[in-house]
Amino acid sequence: MRDRFLSSVATVAITAAAIGAVVAVLGTQTSAQGPAALKTAWGEPDLQGIWTVEYDTPLQRSPRFANQESFSEEQRAEFDRVRSQNRGRDERGARGSELDVAGAYNDEFGAMKRTGKRTSALIDPPNGRIPPTTPEAQKIAATDRELRLALMQATQTCKLGLPGCAGGKFDPTPTSRRLEQPARYNTARMNRHDGPEDGALADRCLTIGLPEFGAGNGGGSFRRIVQTPGGIAMYYDVGQGQGWQRNIIMDGRPHLPASVRQWYGDSRGRWEGDTLVIDVTNFSPKTDYQGARENLHLVERWRRTGPSSLEYIVTIEDPTVWTRPWTAKQEFTRQSDQDNRLYNEPRCIEGNYGHPGLIRGARIEELAYAEGRGPHPATKDNATDFVGVEDDPLQ
Amino acid sequence: MRDRFAISMLTVAIAAASVGAVISASITHTSGQAPITRPATVGGKPNFSGIWQANNEANWDLQAHAARPAAVTQEGVYPYEYARVPAAPVLALGAAGAVPGSLGVVQGDGEIPYKPEALQKKKENADHWIDRDPELKCYLPGIPRAMYMPHPFQITQSTNKIHFAYSFSNSARTIHTDKVEGPPDDTWMGHSVGRWEGDMLVVDVTHFNDRAWFDRAGNHHSDALKLVERFTLKSPDVIWYDVTIEDPNVFTKPWRIAMPLYRRAEPNMQLLEFRCNEFAEEFMYGHLRKQPLVKHWEGETMTIDITRKIPPGDQFYQWYSR
Repeated sequence: MRDRFLSSVATVAITAAAIGAVVAVLGTQTSAQGPAALKTAWGEPDLQGIWTVEYDTPLQRSPRFANQESFSEEQRAEFDRVRSQNRGRDERGARGSELDVAGAYNDEFGAMKRTGKRTSALIDPPNGRIPPTTPEAQKIAATDRELRLALMQATQTCKLGLPGCAGGKFDPTPTSRRLEQPARYNTARMNRHDGPEDGALADRCLTIGLPEFGAGNGGGSFRRIVQTPGGIAMYYDVGQGQGWQRNIIMDGRPHLPASVRQWYGDSRGRWEGDTLVIDVTNFSPKTDYQGARENLHLVERWRRTGPSSLEYIVTIEDPTVWTRPWTAKQEFTRQSDQDNRLYNEPRCIEGNYGHPGLIRGARIEELAYAEGRGPHPATKDNATDFVGVEDDPLQ
Repeated sequence: MRDRFAISMLTVAIAAASVGAVISASITHTSGQAPITRPATVGGKPNFSGIWQANNEANWDLQAHAARPAAVTQEGVYPYEYARVPAAPVLALGAAGAVPGSLGVVQGDGEIPYKPEALQKKKENADHWIDRDPELKCYLPGIPRAMYMPHPFQITQSTNKIHFAYSFSNSARTIHTDKVEGPPDDTWMGHSVGRWEGDMLVVDVTHFNDRAWFDRAGNHHSDALKLVERFTLKSPDVIWYDVTIEDPNVFTKPWRIAMPLYRRAEPNMQLLEFRCNEFAEEFMYGHLRKQPLVKHWEGETMTIDITRKIPPGDQFYQWYSR
């Protein structure tokens, strides 16, 4: 019976995707499990299973909903209708043009979930907005932005005033800063491909760490939690084959020495009643979450709230970046264990033709220019994706 | 805080005892922290949880082999196979690039029963190790190779899932002891379904692709690979790991490898990241740089610049000319 229900939901979902509608959500478990089922055989709270987010909730609350914590049912239905008609990603530029290539990740990759109840995942500050950044962080961000915009200044994107040039202006003369290295380790796409490090972390199969809210394009993310007495493993199936894992240290020992830095930080967990509290530090300076790098400090709280629900509350702190800590909440829904729809294979690098393609393409453009066969490479935009940008009614 | 921790550990211990477990392992930290307790059983089955690592040369070559000067060699002054010298790509590593010897892990006569054409492919693989071994590009190691790479892995054993997290390149697999669907496509790491035969964990692994290798010696398989793994806890800190390997496309008959896996018993042991992608970028994309750093291509030929500046005082023959 359950199988039949699931497969019919799946059929609906596939059909919905094919007509570009909001993708339906799979695998909500409705079986009536008693509270006893929420503990492991050895008596710990049971967080195990495959979990995902089934609804889209914006990280920050839009100023348009400033005094509104929740959407009404009517609003949600209307947003679902509007968003399912947003077909921006499927708009195509002129055939054979660079604009057309930039739309390679079409609507199928950017499938949307239904609109969630809350107007923001942020629950603190109460206005649902990320707190102001520090003057120091603003200066770092401005310096970074200046170089990125300088590398864009001679492109069509700036000439046409497209979103990829926001904050910059068009100048037909290529910048003299072309060989300058960014002040900090580059983590985002820039309009230069001199080598692998000029790529965004996402282009390099090096992205999507913590905090992980399970939202985002491409169907979001899944996490499998497996517990043993005194140990917890989490496997994150995220991005396009950028999966990764954490093994939470639960014996009360201190964090790693400050000299050991990791892409996913260092997780130390403990139980506070039925809540798993994980303290995460030791992030690598090569990571970047909204400007926070090696000083990022997370306190995560995981709590099983029902047979098919798991609450995730994370407090995010970096005094060098934000003027105060802030907190976001996400609700994960349990997926069918038997369907096993979690991909344990982080194979991004194997199929990554795009990243070397961008670097190789830049060399070809340089050669063409040197031989008088092509335009100055700095007039090309190989960084921003300006196809199908449209208003999101949730933002 | 300490009290709360102690109470929760007590609860765990009582709960574990109530489901038939025995507390067997207790390591006291010298810093005076609460002891780690690891029940001997989970759900009545031997508890394989913990951090483990093979301590052998299988990742170099499953078969018996004498130590050799490098993984890639070229003919020296003699025409003999045993008198070759390290080839340029690994020369800069000196003796650190040498391959340690081993009696091998292949059971029985020590031979891998290749079909003739598959044996030929193995030899070609070995000759082109740098270009073909998936390990060098951070592709997933596959099973069984992930089990004996020179990197630790962590087992988290629950009642219906046994999760394996490998340090190398975030690779992982979950052994399902309950009923699940297989993956929709072939995989590097396979699909693992486990069952208990007494105290032995027996795992059938299927759904492989044809791209993973068994070792750095070029031993290979097809997508018809099927494994039967047997895990036996010989002592609290040693697993005996035995694998039957079957692939009718490549081998004339099933064959076996076996080895101990050892617990990483350091009290502060934890699985650290080995974010491999990052380390392979220069290897994979270095020749595409605007300003080459280490390697470049001319036509079909790749050149790696191993010219090194040696600091004064460190030059090898300075002692000789003094």
